[in-house]
Amino acid sequence: MKDWIGLVARLVTGGVWLVAGALKLPDPASSVRAVRAYDLLPEAVVPTVGHLLPAIEVAIGLLLVLGVLTRFASVVSALLFIAFIIGIASAWARGLQIDCGCFGGGGYDAEAESKYPWDIARDVGLLALSGWLVVRPRSKWALDRLLFRSTSDLSCDERNVHVEEHA
Amino acid sequence: MSKNTPERRAARAQRAAEALKAQQAAERKRNLMVGGAVGAVVLVIIGLLYFALNAKDDTGKNAKDEPTIAANGEIAGEIDGFGVVVGDPGAPDTVTIYEDLQCPACASLETQVGEQVAAAIAEGRIRVDYRMVSFLDRASTNDYSSRAMNALLVVLEEAGPDAFLKLHDDLYANQPGEGGAGFEDDELIDRAVQAGAVEADIRPGIEDKVYDQWIKNATDQMSKDGVNATPTIRINGEDADGQKLVELLQK
Repeated sequence: MKDWIGLVARLVTGGVWLVAGALKLPDPASSVRAVRAYDLLPEAVVPTVGHLLPAIEVAIGLLLVLGVLTRFASVVSALLFIAFIIGIASAWARGLQIDCGCFGGGGYDAEAESKYPWDIARDVGLLALSGWLVVRPRSKWALDRLLFRSTSDLSCDERNVHVEEHA
Repeated sequence: MSKNTPERRAARAQRAAEALKAQQAAERKRNLMVGGAVGAVVLVIIGLLYFALNAKDDTGKNAKDEPTIAANGEIAGEIDGFGVVVGDPGAPDTVTIYEDLQCPACASLETQVGEQVAAAIAEGRIRVDYRMVSFLDRASTNDYSSRAMNALLVVLEEAGPDAFLKLHDDLYANQPGEGGAGFEDDELIDRAVQAGAVEADIRPGIEDKVYDQWIKNATDQMSKDGVNATPTIRINGEDADGQKLVELLQK
């Protein structure tokens, strides 16, 4: 059962990362402006972050959807969500009216005030799913199981035999 | 005879334990190698995507063509950084307006105050520093925002501020809706000619989108100026809004 929860967590979180990253690929200049609009990072690193974020988002999305290096990907995913929650909360607290730029776009948004709570709620939910995978990375249909298959424990450890049979 | 002496059993158990340990060590090594290899592939993917995005984003590159202003007509004009400043240099107030030709809120501002602004410029009461930008190309199917801005700049260069202002007001009065196709180049050229430009002068610049890079840099500069919204209005450098602009115009 817990393996199925892991699968859902992987597909939901990974799917969101893939879509969010892919939507930013066509317009890197807009991604840079979205980062700059938060007014949190020094200008020297803004373009790098604006170009790097979509790349990392796509990569983390791929890893999670395929179930490769699940624990590592979930740690990165959780850290990014924490950073985004801080960013959005800070923009809200400073009275900025910006689109979060989560799925491309970014910049001014007249209805920003009413969207911030939902953006944060969504990111908290995805953070929770990432956290689950950090604690318990094992899940159904994960490539990790093929890549890191156990050979030594099979014959010696009753519990593992049991688990493998049900895998 | 007795193969199962306690000593032999102990020795066998020890051998088995050693074999298991060796196997586990080998497995750990294998898993580390697989993990390392997969991690390396992931880093390469991230690196390739990053460099592709970096290469695609040509913001800040030197613009090959920079707009100038044809000195004819009645209204004075100059280019100041990325601003197109029109009106009498001796006018007491300067209004700065950041706007995108595809932005509906800019169109409604122009509908509201456009005529009064035109009158105030003509009477020498204000100068307007038009900070045109283009970040709404994604709102049309044919990059209307940046092509329209380019057309305006070409008209400014070839026909001067009078024609520029006429075309500017015309494009806002007839702004194409978001989500569809904006005016094609031919339509922009027709409207530019109606505003007072000569077709032969402006067609090449509009069709070749000569100020493409300058437009990208102007848009980037707006973001660096901390401006995230269009229209953003400043009066003599101070943040203002439509209401304050109306008050200034009625002064």
